[in-house]
Amino acid sequence: MLKPKQMSRILIAASRDQMGPVIAELYHHHLFHIEEFVEAGAEGYEGFRIGTPLSGASEASGDLLKIRAIENAIAIRGDDMEPTARSSRSALRTQIERDLPGLEREVEELTQKRSKLEIRSKESEQKIAEITPFLSVPAELELFRDYAGFTVYAGYVTGDVILSVPCELFFSKGREKNFIVAVVPSGQRSEAERALQAAAFQAVPVPDETGAPQARIDYYTGQIADLAQQIAGINGKLEAVKQQHTGFLVACEEFLKAEVEKTEAPLRFATTRQTFVAEGWIPTDKVDEVSASLVKATGGRIFVTVVPIDLEHDAVPVEYNNPKFAQPAQMLMDVYSRPRYTEVDPTLMLAIVFPIFFGMILGDVGYGLILLVMCFGLRKFIKGEEGVQFLTVLRNASISSIIFGLLFSEFLGFELPWSPIIFSRHLLIGGGAEGGAGPAIPALMIMSIWIGILHITLGRVLGMYNHAQQDHGEHRIKAVMANFGWLAVMWGLVIGIWSNVAMPYMPNLTGLPAVAAALNAGTISGAVLILVGVGCIARDSILEVVELPTIISHVLSYARLVAVGLSSVAIAMVVNYMSIGMFISPGLKSLSIVGIVMILVGIVIFLLGHALNTALGILGGGLHSIRLHYVEFFTKFYKGGGKRYVPFGMKRRFTEE
Amino acid sequence: MVDATVAVAATDLASIQASQMGMKAIGAGLAVGLTGVGTGVAEMGIGAAAVGAIAENKDFFGLGLLFTVIPETIVIFGLVVGLLLLF
Repeated sequence: MLKPKQMSRILIAASRDQMGPVIAELYHHHLFHIEEFVEAGAEGYEGFRIGTPLSGASEASGDLLKIRAIENAIAIRGDDMEPTARSSRSALRTQIERDLPGLEREVEELTQKRSKLEIRSKESEQKIAEITPFLSVPAELELFRDYAGFTVYAGYVTGDVILSVPCELFFSKGREKNFIVAVVPSGQRSEAERALQAAAFQAVPVPDETGAPQARIDYYTGQIADLAQQIAGINGKLEAVKQQHTGFLVACEEFLKAEVEKTEAPLRFATTRQTFVAEGWIPTDKVDEVSASLVKATGGRIFVTVVPIDLEHDAVPVEYNNPKFAQPAQMLMDVYSRPRYTEVDPTLMLAIVFPIFFGMILGDVGYGLILLVMCFGLRKFIKGEEGVQFLTVLRNASISSIIFGLLFSEFLGFELPWSPIIFSRHLLIGGGAEGGAGPAIPALMIMSIWIGILHITLGRVLGMYNHAQQDHGEHRIKAVMANFGWLAVMWGLVIGIWSNVAMPYMPNLTGLPAVAAALNAGTISGAVLILVGVGCIARDSILEVVELPTIISHVLSYARLVAVGLSSVAIAMVVNYMSIGMFISPGLKSLSIVGIVMILVGIVIFLLGHALNTALGILGGGLHSIRLHYVEFFTKFYKGGGKRYVPFGMKRRFTEE
Repeated sequence: MVDATVAVAATDLASIQASQMGMKAIGAGLAVGLTGVGTGVAEMGIGAAAVGAIAENKDFFGLGLLFTVIPETIVIFGLVVGLLLLF
């Protein structure tokens, strides 16, 4: 919790003939993050070289390529599938040898045939496009070509055209440009061309066809329909292949992927003629388990040891270590950046505070329920790990908005049968607007400011802790003091304001005794805090002093918790007023045809408006809450940029170990 | 005569109050609208650059989003001012 999982650096050395069993064992455990061996300049590794793949590597990767090609052709993705039965490895191996070549041939033939048909269909479409302009000319298509003494011009002109040479001219007016066909004696070509050029003539190729244009177009249209039918037939066959072999294909892919990864693992190890050395990371609590099983697998002919970590230079891979309910929020962390090994992992705080912020902004039972139903509906379609994490985050957020909706007494902008338990956000919109109490804006604002002050204070305290952990020597004290300085300035300002202005829901220090020149004790202690704070900040970096106004802007930024929420309430109430106040209730008064139409219009407005507001609610609630974390909270302490922990091995879904 | 003056003064007062309310509403509208335009202008360049960077490297998404929404504070200030004016 609040810290990534503790890692140990492991060094494994054994003779080369143990490589197979060692790799199999490491793969099986799915815990060993391989530190890749780089030949050039590896200290202490003089004379070592990169290993060569185990036998069977090229066959396995060849087969894997084939499987992936087939999967692409028939559109299967293992990630989108629910694992059903697990296939055993020996069964898969025989099945690959027996079925794969035939299956590959079948799919390849079908896709080739399909692409040929598609090309022919395209050609026919092209022909139709060529013939279409000539539809307006009452002549057979063969009449347009093969003259010895005449030249045929066919094409578009923008305006009218007058040819001074003797000719036969057909002119058809179009909407934007006019189509003309002119037959001119070849001797007077140049004159005719000049006249045509003056009319901005664009030539159209004369199609190589015989017969009436309409008949030819009908012929090609028929052909396209025929081809489409054939293509549909092939698609049906591919679909049948998909139905029959999906299970086999995804299992195969997983099996072969594992084979390829295993056989190519030596490429990441350091080897000599007789031995190999593998370095990597294992979570500290699993070290004993893994080394014991390695010793067992090789019959004791192996050397496994824990190497001391050098936190300055080693890039330790980072694996989250969070309680189960906070794990979905790791997705939001990864979007920003994974924490470094030495810093505080704020996932837990994010997992708790994000839904609260979301709920405060949306705070409506109706929208919360809509989102909750949406989450459970989408669960059927979204399968990948990240997708499920996202849905869980959204589910928590929508539950929180239902709770806040009950507190705010809101349901799709209407008031629930009780008055708001915390603060009212009901605006004075629509009928009866004059009677209501209106929203408690000052109280809401001060609540958001309080949240901002506390959230930022937490961030700065964590910043002090991180600097104390990560930095060394003189810089360490300075950096910690600078963070303290930021806190001092913020609290100094707050105390100064409290001492001069009385505000609801905030301590009132205006009554403190005056000390000097009409300034009371609070004002003076605030001023001292500010001065001390600025001093601490300037000692670390003088340029940072320019950033002092961000203290105010970051705290005020939390006002969005109220502001964005109020705008969503306003939209909901306006939609309700427009649909019910302006259409449905006048319609109900007079149930004529006009009245019924008005009711229908009102219902449409109601549905569309609330659909829009739901979408805005997700965007506003989600983006603004996450932004408050990323910008206002994380910038105080969090750096990120840790290396992801990618253990060697895989989570098997379709195959047995 | 006096009664009439009082009545005229009362109507004047009511209309002055109403027009003051209207002025407040205009001010609130300007505060939100102009800050919105400002935010939009500021986010225009950042957003375009961020999308370009994300196209090159997907890992930039989080940071890109962060940069893009930084000017949003301006419109929030506008909203705060607007709300304070109205309530």
